[in-house]
Amino acid sequence: MIEKTLKVIDKAFTFFEDWTLFITTMIALVTLFVEVGLRYGFNRSLGWPDELVREVIMYTTFIGCGAAVKNRSMIVIDALPQVVPRLKRPLLFVSHAFTLFFSVFIFYYGVRNAALQVRTHQKTIILEIPLWIIFSFLPMMGVGMFFRTLHVLWEDLHPAIEEEKEKG
Amino acid sequence: MEHGYLIIILLLLGMMAATVPVFMSLFFSGILGVFLFSHYPIQLVVMSFFRSMDKFALVVVLFFILCGNIMTKGSIVDKLIKVANVVVGFLPGGLAMAGTIACGLFGAISGSTVATVVAIGGFMIPALLENGYDEKFTLGVMTSAPVLGIIIPPSIAMILYSMVTNVSLEGLFLTGFVPGIMIIIGFSIYSYFHAKVKRYETQPVPSFKEVVTVFKEGFWSLMLPAIIFGGIYSGAFTANEAAVVASVYAFIVEIFIHKDMKFKEVKEVVVSSAVTSATLLIIVAGATTFGRYLTLQNIPGQIANAVTAHIHSPWVFLLAVNLMLLVVGMFMDIISATLLLTPVFIPLLYAFNINLMHFGLLMTLNLGIGYVTPPLGVSLYITGAMTNRDLIYVSKSVVPFILIQLVILAILSYIPILVLYLPKVFGYLG
Repeated sequence: MIEKTLKVIDKAFTFFEDWTLFITTMIALVTLFVEVGLRYGFNRSLGWPDELVREVIMYTTFIGCGAAVKNRSMIVIDALPQVVPRLKRPLLFVSHAFTLFFSVFIFYYGVRNAALQVRTHQKTIILEIPLWIIFSFLPMMGVGMFFRTLHVLWEDLHPAIEEEKEKG
Repeated sequence: MEHGYLIIILLLLGMMAATVPVFMSLFFSGILGVFLFSHYPIQLVVMSFFRSMDKFALVVVLFFILCGNIMTKGSIVDKLIKVANVVVGFLPGGLAMAGTIACGLFGAISGSTVATVVAIGGFMIPALLENGYDEKFTLGVMTSAPVLGIIIPPSIAMILYSMVTNVSLEGLFLTGFVPGIMIIIGFSIYSYFHAKVKRYETQPVPSFKEVVTVFKEGFWSLMLPAIIFGGIYSGAFTANEAAVVASVYAFIVEIFIHKDMKFKEVKEVVVSSAVTSATLLIIVAGATTFGRYLTLQNIPGQIANAVTAHIHSPWVFLLAVNLMLLVVGMFMDIISATLLLTPVFIPLLYAFNINLMHFGLLMTLNLGIGYVTPPLGVSLYITGAMTNRDLIYVSKSVVPFILIQLVILAILSYIPILVLYLPKVFGYLG
């Protein structure tokens, strides 16, 4: 039951992350390329791509972290488990515990910061995007990392499932 | 608390040793430091964590990663290797030289050592072994030469160093060319004498027709570094924009000219690049949080005072820093080390009158050597996995190449003009 629920959540997160990361990155790539072309070809500048690209970088970084937890590609220093292999498994759970705590922490403060932007009605300078939308990337990061960590934690607690997956 | 920073630094090291992700270790140590030793609100620290990503310059990281991934997925790498091989392949040790030059060419487009090991090593290790090269030598050269990925610009480590120090990225990129060529020459000389001693068979000299064919096939691939550097240094576009232009160009070449990438693979490449970029850039955010603590407590200033009280000569300082960075590089990845240590070094560089661009190159090369030093040399693990060899075997294989790099590092440390000549010629030294 838990495995099934986690799978469904994982699928939904993967779909959301993959498509939004793809679309936002492509939008940034195309708009910046057009901006360079316009500037040097027609001596004209749009201005707003600069702001849009900064928002895209924020989005891809904070939302991409959830996917990185799933892929286990977060940068860690794994000298200790290399030297003392017996510590590998306990340290894995220490790392998961910190990630879960971080997710809750960043969700809490992310919501507070987003709420502050709602109260003050702030917007971005050129595109006039309400800042609470941009600041909601942080709580979204918290939610994404939390569920991804629960999933990898479940996999690590049940290595047999993983072995079956590899065989299958 | 007078020595409170020791608690925070020990906490940081302890969390890193406990395999807590690097960005989280930096984030939590910084938050705790601010919470315990200042009255600065935590909510503002979290805001600075978030705002640290609000920089246009960071776009360069995402798009150079994308460019490297497009090349690895398509056939640009294969064509670059063929070009390198036709140029030097017929010399004694020529195939190893071609592998080294290919790493340099790949490094001139990608900005990562790991990407270079995977892309070039995957092709060259089997090729060298098939041509009768000694396995230890093969592993040594193809594990070490990918350091060119971060020395020859563009380089992700240099991009982050430039962000922290505010030195011109275009100028900093220029510091990498001469050292990169020195490494290629150093490795090629060693390969030449190794091949002579081992009496490897040399490949036949290619005919003029073969050379023309290979260059014709490789034309679009060779144009990529030409566009990047031609564009940047002719003033047509900035380094940030170069990353965008290079990515679009690489897509067009792979999809429409080489036809080695399908449309459906585009999404996969873009998403994996965005995730890789996130794992690097989130360390910038973590380092910003830790940096906030360091600034509030004036730690870099205190360290600078302590160091200048004991060391008076820039030569001794550079020697001490080089030794320290070699040790740090053995345990810490280049991105984390650059972001963590650069703010600490900045006041010292001013105190000893050491050029920030010069030091940026030294730091990058020094930490780059960390890719091939145990226990955490990532390149050692990758080539070891490619050939089913253990860490000790691969570590022994890289020893001659580490020595060559150390000699070059010493030369570059004490003859700064070798590093600063090009930035000076192009007017980036002020």
